[in-house]
Amino acid sequence: MLYREAGQFKTTYGADQQIFPILQDRIFVLAVIAAALLVVPLFASQYLYTEILIPFLILSLAAIGLNILVGYCGQVSLGTGGFMAVGAYAAYNLWLRVPEANNLIVVFLFGGLMSAAVGILFGIPSLRIKGFYLAVATLASQFFLDWLFARVKWLTNYTPSGSVAVGDTSAFGWKIDTPMERYLFILAFVVVATVVAKNLVRGHIGRSWMAIRDMDIAAEIIGFRPLRTKLTAFAVSSFFIGIAGAMWAFLRLGAWEPLAFDINRSFQILFMVIIGGLGSLLGSFLGAAFIVLTPIVLNQLPGWFGVKMSTALLSHLEFMVFGAMIVFFLIVEPHGLARLWAIAKEKLRLWPFPH
Amino acid sequence: MTVRSRVFDETLLAVEGISLSFGGVKALTDISFDIRKGEIRAIIGPNGAGKSSMLNCINGFYHPQQGAITYKGVRRSQMRPHEAAEQGIARTFQNIALFKGMSTLDNIMTGRNLRMKTGLFWQALHFGPAQREEIEHRRAVERIIDFLEIQHIRKVPVGRLPYGLQKRVELGRALAAQPELLLLDEPMAGMNIEEKQDMCRFVLDVNDEFGTTICLIEHDMGVVMDISDRVVVLDYGKKIGDGVPDEIKRNQAVIDAYLGVSH
Repeated sequence: MLYREAGQFKTTYGADQQIFPILQDRIFVLAVIAAALLVVPLFASQYLYTEILIPFLILSLAAIGLNILVGYCGQVSLGTGGFMAVGAYAAYNLWLRVPEANNLIVVFLFGGLMSAAVGILFGIPSLRIKGFYLAVATLASQFFLDWLFARVKWLTNYTPSGSVAVGDTSAFGWKIDTPMERYLFILAFVVVATVVAKNLVRGHIGRSWMAIRDMDIAAEIIGFRPLRTKLTAFAVSSFFIGIAGAMWAFLRLGAWEPLAFDINRSFQILFMVIIGGLGSLLGSFLGAAFIVLTPIVLNQLPGWFGVKMSTALLSHLEFMVFGAMIVFFLIVEPHGLARLWAIAKEKLRLWPFPH
Repeated sequence: MTVRSRVFDETLLAVEGISLSFGGVKALTDISFDIRKGEIRAIIGPNGAGKSSMLNCINGFYHPQQGAITYKGVRRSQMRPHEAAEQGIARTFQNIALFKGMSTLDNIMTGRNLRMKTGLFWQALHFGPAQREEIEHRRAVERIIDFLEIQHIRKVPVGRLPYGLQKRVELGRALAAQPELLLLDEPMAGMNIEEKQDMCRFVLDVNDEFGTTICLIEHDMGVVMDISDRVVVLDYGKKIGDGVPDEIKRNQAVIDAYLGVSH
């Protein structure tokens, strides 16, 4: 009853083209952001920050990046982990070698830009190869980048184990140290990045991506240039993924080795995008929440009900139930959690009437 | 029945001696004809005659092995599809080639892609030039939506639309480019009588109101003879007839191709 668009008339095209044309949606989203910004810091524990909120936000950003490439432009990629590593190591090297640039915003943007450049390079084969074959080609980029950061010692500042660490992180004089500060900084970054991503996908660049995804031959015949369009998608996607990688390294891990960005990371982000919903920014968040939260909840669940079991059994059960849930959700709604949300909203508009 | 007798002088596009083969299959053999500015030109022929291949050559999707196409006074043996689009050639497809995941509005907006220039930076902000451009083109697209009477499906993903409406949206996407030459590949295939009448009306209106030159492939002879100014007939990749509808109706080679003759 509360969720109605009746009476909300649009008199300009500008008003019709805003991100959330329905007033209730605007209020809801602003309320969520305000709560995340003001209410969460009042009660959140260190555990909530470092194990749940920070990973959720950073991986959401990576999922948004991958969703631009896979969901909006239709180019399957398994190189996400590698692009995150490029962002992380580019940021690390700038932070290490140029003391004047000791500003997280500058460092992260640099990581994103370097990742975008590498993304363009590995995106060039996409003109000729599609689908599963492209997935395999991007897998090669993952292995190459893994190798690069393990073997080229300059990139890891000649540390014997290849493990690097950062300390003293700040932005414009604001020292970002405690979990709460890190959380707020990441939240601000992710909100801005999401708005940028939304602006891109609703404009003519986004339409060019979707045209290539839905029917590349027709897209070419009406004037889109396939290579340029695909490379833009690779660049923007890798830019977001690179920033997420730099954030993961600097604000989640603090000290890391190349293994932090291996092929498992690529799969994890791809699952987030598929479970959350291809071609949906909301889906990127829902998918990230599902993948981050479900294992934690499953792990805690027996304890809440007072059931005692061994850690080994618990972790096996966690894997099995998690896998079963993924299969269940994909059967119930192949278009992901975002579609379930959209269907719920459709129903809510008419509730309590069936039609 | 009124007979349309209009005279056109200026040649917009001339096809000269086009031959196209795929391996050993000769799709087109030495085809020559012209399309004059402002006319409705039909290409007809039995299945497999090479009609769609001909359109694909004109808009640069196929590259013929021999011959050349002169368009707006420039003679070339081949061009890329996006060059054809930049030169003002738009088309629709026999099997609908819409972007299924996008709304009607977005599909038609893609037709204006060559006119949208703002770069990544302003697009990312969706502000200033990017927003002005978006609204300006939205206005143009809304005129096409009004013209085609599809206001009610503006925000519906085209994958959910019935076939006849999808055909109409595809015409809208081609019109959004404001083409000089519009190629329609079987715009009325699979439609019922009312949908055909609507589509004929749109084709004639496009030709009258915007002065767009139209080249169409169609199997419904009633429609072809009624709305086209001149007709070219292909059979097995060869041209067997070319002229105004009344000539074509009396052309023995055309009658034989359609009805079959005993050899």
